[in-house]
Amino acid sequence: MFRFLRLSVLFAVLFVSAGSHAADASQPLSTADDLGPQVDQPIEFPHDRHAGDAAQGGMQINCMYCHTYARRSMTAGIPPTQKCIGCHQSIESVRETPRIKKLFEYWEAKKPIPWKKVHDLPDFVRFHHERHIQRFYFQQGKPVQEVCGYCHGNVKTMTVARRTKSLSMGWCVSCHEKQHPVDAASTKTAQGPNDCWQCHK
Amino acid sequence: MMENGFNRRDFLKVLGWGGTAVALSGCGNTSVEDGRETVNSYVEAADYVIPGIGVYFNSTCAQCDAGCSIMGKVREGRVLKLEGNPDSAINRGKTCGLGQAGVQHHYNPDRVREPLQRKGEIGVTITWEKAYELIAEKLKDVSGEEIAFLSGGVSGHLKVLLDNYLASFGCRNHFVYEALAPAVVRAANKKSYGVEMPRYNINKAKVVLSFGADFLGAWVSPVHFSQQYAQFRKGVDGERGVLIQIEPKMTLTGANADRWIPVRPGTEGVLALGIINALGTAGGDIAALVKDYDKVRVSKETGVPPGHIDKIAALLKLRSPSLVLAGSAAEGYAHGSQNAAAINLLNHVLGNVGKTVEAAAEVPFPQMAPARGNTAALKALNDGLAAGKYKVLFNYAANPIFTAPGGMKFKDNWAKADFKVVFAHYMDETALQADLVLPLDSALEDWGTHVPEYMADGAQINIQQPLMERLHANTRGMGDILLALIKQRRPEDYKSYEDYYGYLRAAMLQNKAALGGGGMDDDTFWSETLSKGIVKLAGAATTAVHSKAGATDLTLPAATQDAQYPLQLIPAVNVSLRDGRHANLPWLQESPDPLTTIVWDSWVEIHPKKALEMDITEGDIIEVTSRTGSVKAQAYLFPGIHPDAISIPLGQGHEALGRYAKGYGVNPFQILDAVFDKETGELAMHETRVKISKTGQRVIVVKDESAAGAKQIRKKIAGRMSTDNVDLSKEV
Ligand code: SF4
Repeated sequence: MFRFLRLSVLFAVLFVSAGSHAADASQPLSTADDLGPQVDQPIEFPHDRHAGDAAQGGMQINCMYCHTYARRSMTAGIPPTQKCIGCHQSIESVRETPRIKKLFEYWEAKKPIPWKKVHDLPDFVRFHHERHIQRFYFQQGKPVQEVCGYCHGNVKTMTVARRTKSLSMGWCVSCHEKQHPVDAASTKTAQGPNDCWQCHK
Repeated sequence: MMENGFNRRDFLKVLGWGGTAVALSGCGNTSVEDGRETVNSYVEAADYVIPGIGVYFNSTCAQCDAGCSIMGKVREGRVLKLEGNPDSAINRGKTCGLGQAGVQHHYNPDRVREPLQRKGEIGVTITWEKAYELIAEKLKDVSGEEIAFLSGGVSGHLKVLLDNYLASFGCRNHFVYEALAPAVVRAANKKSYGVEMPRYNINKAKVVLSFGADFLGAWVSPVHFSQQYAQFRKGVDGERGVLIQIEPKMTLTGANADRWIPVRPGTEGVLALGIINALGTAGGDIAALVKDYDKVRVSKETGVPPGHIDKIAALLKLRSPSLVLAGSAAEGYAHGSQNAAAINLLNHVLGNVGKTVEAAAEVPFPQMAPARGNTAALKALNDGLAAGKYKVLFNYAANPIFTAPGGMKFKDNWAKADFKVVFAHYMDETALQADLVLPLDSALEDWGTHVPEYMADGAQINIQQPLMERLHANTRGMGDILLALIKQRRPEDYKSYEDYYGYLRAAMLQNKAALGGGGMDDDTFWSETLSKGIVKLAGAATTAVHSKAGATDLTLPAATQDAQYPLQLIPAVNVSLRDGRHANLPWLQESPDPLTTIVWDSWVEIHPKKALEMDITEGDIIEVTSRTGSVKAQAYLFPGIHPDAISIPLGQGHEALGRYAKGYGVNPFQILDAVFDKETGELAMHETRVKISKTGQRVIVVKDESAAGAKQIRKKIAGRMSTDNVDLSKEV
C-alpha cells in the first residue's frame, strides 16, 4: 500500500518537472544561432580596438595580457581596474574621451567597475579555464585568439563581448569527443575527459 | 598570507568589497545569468590574489577560550573555510568541530544588523551616533558605583580598553562571567600548586587519572589536549599510556578511557583520599588526613568496588609519572573546592608536580592577561541588581538570562536596572531584555589580540584580524565601540586613534621590542605580526609550582539521600553547543552528540536499570522536576551514567537566538538550584536534585545510531529491540 503510494507521488513529481521543463523550452536560453543577449556594460569596452587586427585598426594585444587569471585559475575573472590604468595613464590621446573619462572616475573613486557577466554557466558545472589554456595554448601551441575563441567566439571583432556559442553540455561534449593532438610536436591524439564528475563535482 | 603592511580594511576595500558596488546577486542552482549577474571585479589586486584561488590569512578562533590559531581560506573576498595554524603551540594546525563552525557565526542569517532602541515591546532602528549619545546621556547622572559591566572572559587590548573605559567614570563593577568556566579548579590549583592553570603534560604521563575532566571534549583546551593524548597513547618509552576516567556521567573522554568508573555524584574527593590511603606512601599530615578513608568506607560512600581502588593504586605505583586531573564533574558541588583539593593532593603524593604538572608561561603584560570568567561574578551581579544597586548595566559576550540558574531569578533582577545595553551578535534571550542593542561584527570581521588562559609551550599573544570585509554595513567591532565610548570620557587621550585597528597597531608598535620586533621597522614588524597571527614571547617568565602540598584540612561530606528528590541532575556540557551560545549553528545542531548520536534536540540520559525500575523506555517524554522548576524531554537509556543520576545536555532550549536555536530542546539551566561552592562562591552546577515522572507521551528519538547499526558494530550501547526481531524488508 505504502509502496504504491510512494510510486504515485514519484510520478506526480516527474510529471510536474517535465511540465516545467516544457515551459522553459518555450523560452530558449540562447537563440538558434547561439547568440547570447546583448549585454549593456558600464563602459562599452572595445575589444576590437584592443585585440583586433592591425589592418582593422586594432592593437593586437594578447588576450592573456588583460585576462591574466585565465591561465592560472579555474576562474577567468576580470582584469582589475589597475590594469586598464596601467596603460591608460600614459595614453594622452584618448584621455578625454567619454569612455576613458568614465574609467578614471571609477579609478579615482576606488570603486570596482560593475561589469556584467557575459558567459555564465549553471552553478553545477565546473569549467576550468586554466586546464583548457594549458592544453591548447601551452601544449599544442595554438594561437591564443583561436584558443579563447573556441568558447568565446571571435571577440576581437566585437566591442562589448557577446556570447556566440551555446555553452550547453552537448556543445561541450561535441568537442570533448574529438581527437586532439596531445602536444604541438606529436601525432598522438587524445579526447577530452568524458566523466560526469569532471564537470559536475 | 599577508605580505604588505597596509591597513587591512583599506586592503579589502581596495579589493572591491567596500560598499555596495559589488552586487552579489544570488542565483538559483540552475540559473544562467548572462548579462544580469555582476562579475567580481577588483580595483587593485595584489599579485597573490587570483580569482578562483584561495589565499590564507591567519587569525584566532573565537569559538571558545582555548585560543587556537586559525587560518581562513579567502576567495574572491569571502572567507570559505577555517583551518588550524601549524605555528601555534596550542593547536599545531588543527581545529575542533566547534572551531570549524565559526564561519556559520559569520554568515548566520539571524545576526543583528542595526542598533536597536527599545520602544515598548519593539526595537527601533537608530543610528550609531544616536546610540552613543544615548549612552552618554544615561551615564551623565549616575555615579560609577551605579554602573555595572557584565562580560564573558576578555583578554588582550580589548580588556585594556574596557578597564580604562570603566575607570574613566570610576566604575569598579566589572563582572566577568563564564557559565562553564573551571573556576573552582582554578582556585584549588592556586592553593595546591601556586598557579591557577598549570601546564598539564598529558603526553609525559604514563597513567592519567581524570576525575570528570573532559579534556578531549570541552575542557580548557581540547585541541591541545587531544594532541597530547595521541602522544600519550603512543606511549612514553614505548609504554602506552593508560587512561582512567572517574565520573558519574560518561563524557567523550570517558568513552575513550581504558577504564571508565562511575562514581556516586559528589564523592570524587572521597575516592581521591581513598586512593591516597590505598597507596600508603603518604606521610605526615596527609597520612593523618586519609587515615579514616579505608577501602571499605570509601567503597561504601562512592559506590566504587574496593577491588577497583586497589587496582588504581597499584597501577599508579607501578607507573610514574602519572597525572591526576580535577574536572568539571568533580567541582560542581557545595564542597567542590574540597573535592578538587583532594584530587590535586594526589598529584603531590604521587610526585607528579613538577613533572606532569608544570608551571605555565605567563604573558609579561598583566594588563592584557585574561580576565577569567566564573559564576561567582554572576551571583555578585545578581545580588547587586536585586538590591537595586545598579542603574546602568552593560552586557557583552554573555547571555546570562539563558545561562543563569533558574534559582537565581536573574531575569527579574535584570529588569531592576533602568538602562541595559547589550552588545550582541544575535537577538538572544538577554538582548531581548535590553533597552539598547548594539550589533557586533562577527569574529571573522573584527580585530583583536587575545591571551589564551591555557598556555602550551611558552607564552603567546594571538592576533585576530578580519578575514573579510563586514557583511552588514552597520555592525561594529567591540573594540571600535569601546574606543568611541572612551572618547566621550577622555577625548584628548584617545583622539589620535581613528579606530580600534589604529589603536591596536599603535599599541603593538609601541612595545615592538618586547614583542620580538626589536630592530625591525614598524611596517615590517606589523605585517609580520599579521602574517603570522601569533606573537611568541620568547623567554616569558613562569611562576614556579609549589612542590609542597598545601592545606590538608579537608572536610568531605558523605553523599546525602533525599527521599523527595532522589536523583542527582548532571547538566552535561555538550562538546559543540557549550553553554548554548553556539546552538544557532546548524552544523553543530546536526552533528550527532558523540555518545548518544542524538541531533537537534535535548534528552534525559537515564541508566537502563533505573529506567526498568520506573518502566521508562527510550523516547518516553519524562518530566524532570527540581526544587526550582521542571522541564520535559525524551528519555534516552544509557549505561554510561550512574544509576542515581540523570543527565540533560546544556545548550538547547532557546527561546530566542534565531531560527536554528529557538524552540529546540529544553534548557536545564532553568531548573538548577542556586547552590554555591562554600569556599569560592561558585555555582555548584551538579548540586541540583530532581525527581522524574512519565508524562505518558512517547516520541521516536532522532539519532544516527539505529538498532541495526548497533548490531553491526557488535556493540550495543543501550538496550533496545534486537535486530533479529526486525524484518528489514518491511522497513523499506
Ligand atoms: S578548541 Fe576552542 S579555540 Fe580551539 S578550535 Fe576548538 S573552538 Fe576554536
